[in-house]
Amino acid sequence: MKRKVFSYLLIAAMVSSLFAGCGSKADTPDTSAASEETQVEEVKEEETATEDSVEDVTIRVSLWDYSSTQYYKDQIAAFEKAYPHIKVDVAEAPAGDYEDMIITKMAGRENYDVVFTKGLPSLSALISMNYVQPLDDYIANDADFDKSAYSNLTDQMQMNGKTYGVPYRKDNILLYYNKDLFDAAGVDYPQDGMTMDDYYELAKKMTSGSGNEKIYGAHLHTWASCVFLFPRRVGQFDPWGTDKSALKPYYETFLKMQDEGLIMDYGTLKASNTHYSGVFYNKQVAMMEMGTWFINMLVENADFNWGVCSVPNVDGVGNTCAVGGVTPVMIGAYAEHPDEAWEFIKFVTGEEGAKILASNGILPGYSCDAVDEIFDALPGAPENLSDYLSADTFYVDTPLNPNGKEADSIISEEHDLIMTKSISVDDGLKEMEERVNAVIE
Amino acid sequence: MKNRQRKRELTAIAFILPNFLGFICLTLLPVCFSFVLSFCEWNSSNPMKFVGIDNYVGMINDETFRISMKNTIIYVLGTVPTTLFLSLGLALLLNCKIKGRVFFRSIAFFPYVASLVAVAVVWNNALFHPDMGPVNSLLSALGVTDPPRWAASTTWALPTVIGLAIWKSMGYYMVVYLAGLQSVPQELYEAARIDGAGAWKRFVNITWPMITPTTFFVSIMLTIGAFKVFDTIYITTQGGPGRATNVLVYYIYKSAFVSFKFGYASAVAVVLFLIVLLITIFQFRTEKKFVSYL
Repeated sequence: MKRKVFSYLLIAAMVSSLFAGCGSKADTPDTSAASEETQVEEVKEEETATEDSVEDVTIRVSLWDYSSTQYYKDQIAAFEKAYPHIKVDVAEAPAGDYEDMIITKMAGRENYDVVFTKGLPSLSALISMNYVQPLDDYIANDADFDKSAYSNLTDQMQMNGKTYGVPYRKDNILLYYNKDLFDAAGVDYPQDGMTMDDYYELAKKMTSGSGNEKIYGAHLHTWASCVFLFPRRVGQFDPWGTDKSALKPYYETFLKMQDEGLIMDYGTLKASNTHYSGVFYNKQVAMMEMGTWFINMLVENADFNWGVCSVPNVDGVGNTCAVGGVTPVMIGAYAEHPDEAWEFIKFVTGEEGAKILASNGILPGYSCDAVDEIFDALPGAPENLSDYLSADTFYVDTPLNPNGKEADSIISEEHDLIMTKSISVDDGLKEMEERVNAVIE
Repeated sequence: MKNRQRKRELTAIAFILPNFLGFICLTLLPVCFSFVLSFCEWNSSNPMKFVGIDNYVGMINDETFRISMKNTIIYVLGTVPTTLFLSLGLALLLNCKIKGRVFFRSIAFFPYVASLVAVAVVWNNALFHPDMGPVNSLLSALGVTDPPRWAASTTWALPTVIGLAIWKSMGYYMVVYLAGLQSVPQELYEAARIDGAGAWKRFVNITWPMITPTTFFVSIMLTIGAFKVFDTIYITTQGGPGRATNVLVYYIYKSAFVSFKFGYASAVAVVLFLIVLLITIFQFRTEKKFVSYL
């Protein structure tokens, strides 16, 4: 009998412990945190009640790499100082897991007030799943918000006629060059408004040596965007469009450069996961196309003189338009304090926030003279750097589209095939067209 | 008597239950959910829409699915028999009384213990680097004018991954085979020796039949593992170049977590499940024919 009771007990204990383990993990810390918060708020309310009657609010902000990124902390500290009644509670994930984390959390109706994402493809996904709110009312009714300070980027964060994000960071794609290598070779520096032929000729002049001593005239990193942003910058290419023929001259030029050893072999770079920064720091390449995030990396790592100019294109269009990625910030669908979230967004994407980003070498979505001055004063920066930070016509690298992520991976696959010469340029572009059209509809 | 029997059963259930409940919550229910999902259209936020067999019909015209299926089959055919025979060969060699046996066994087992990420870096960035790797240097030295570009070429990427997988798992199955070989009674070999049987005869007539249960186990584990391959692909080639190493599980992952087509991804998963199920049933059916239990 005793044994029977024991076994029942054992079963009961194990089942209950199991279900305890199954219990929603998020609930437990949340409630305790919430109760702590309310306690804290109550205390504060009592303190401030005599001074003013504004209620303290805590907004939840979702970010990646918060602990290791100083400018987030500086911005939040500045915001809390400017808005003493709003406290910021940060939820973070490592950069690599962030996009999966945010989708999973939002599927669980997490009440994030402010949501950052790493780029437009993941913003598209969040919009098509209804995890973020339209911001049009805020933009239209808030006199403090100046849309024109973001080039024309806010308008490119629209889907189905509604605006969902404000550009927190942007990145302009530039051509970086190693001035020391050009000086040593006695070749003139690259100029704005080069054609692809000029670029090829220049790379040819700058290629020298062999084996470990070899200097490549140019460098093409392995992302598909490294090719398609050339025509995209001058408005001749839409990644989700039906026609991919604009890419042909670019692929032909780069394949020719690869064959002649003016750029490193694509397949090798890809298979060995070679990072673009190393080859530039090691003075192995004379020119490289990269985003403005590279400025800060160069300031910290380059022990040579470097310069920038606009990237070439078939028509030789100079520094009049720009292309690059955008890091948007949004209000979450289940936000409990959307108004305070908007204040936060306006602050971090506005002039105050922009200055903090710029002083960390990060290009903010917001353009102003103060930002330009900070960039020009960066140690080792070329004197004309601020000319290249923004442009009146600014194309986002990939427009918002619910199926953008899938189409993007198709473009990458076909790019792989073309650059490894597993398929001809024409056939590759045809396949790219067919497959992208099938996904975009 | 009956009471006692029940008590014993209860005790058994008490021990099985925690594990079984975990299995139900974390494996069985998700699997059933995935089966239901395969008849729906769902992106994880919108309401689920029942679409009948559309997802399955869609697979017929899906080129990426066909490529992934083909690659998976090549991967299975490439890894299973090779790993099986190589690990058996290793086990036979290291079962002999040779000097430094433990040392060599450890070496053979080492790739299995090493982190896949580290192994993949050594494999692709060092050994099989198309320009600077020792493998291609050796081939060039031997007079091969245009050595394969390994993971960087669409033709050789899959064989490169297969090679990595074989090398990585060989040590583990060697240990399984070693255990099998130890259980073969020595007197059989003694009797055969007295009858004048040579090494090959002894292998064919004693060792091979006696370790068929091990071979059966190894072949099933290898087959299921090969159909399920994901980590090796994800870490080394990400399905590339192009779609050259895209396998079914990698395609399921991409459909679900890149394209957010959870319904379609589930349908592909169901197809994969059916294939593995059929093959395993077939293997169990043929068990009686070639596996001998003494």
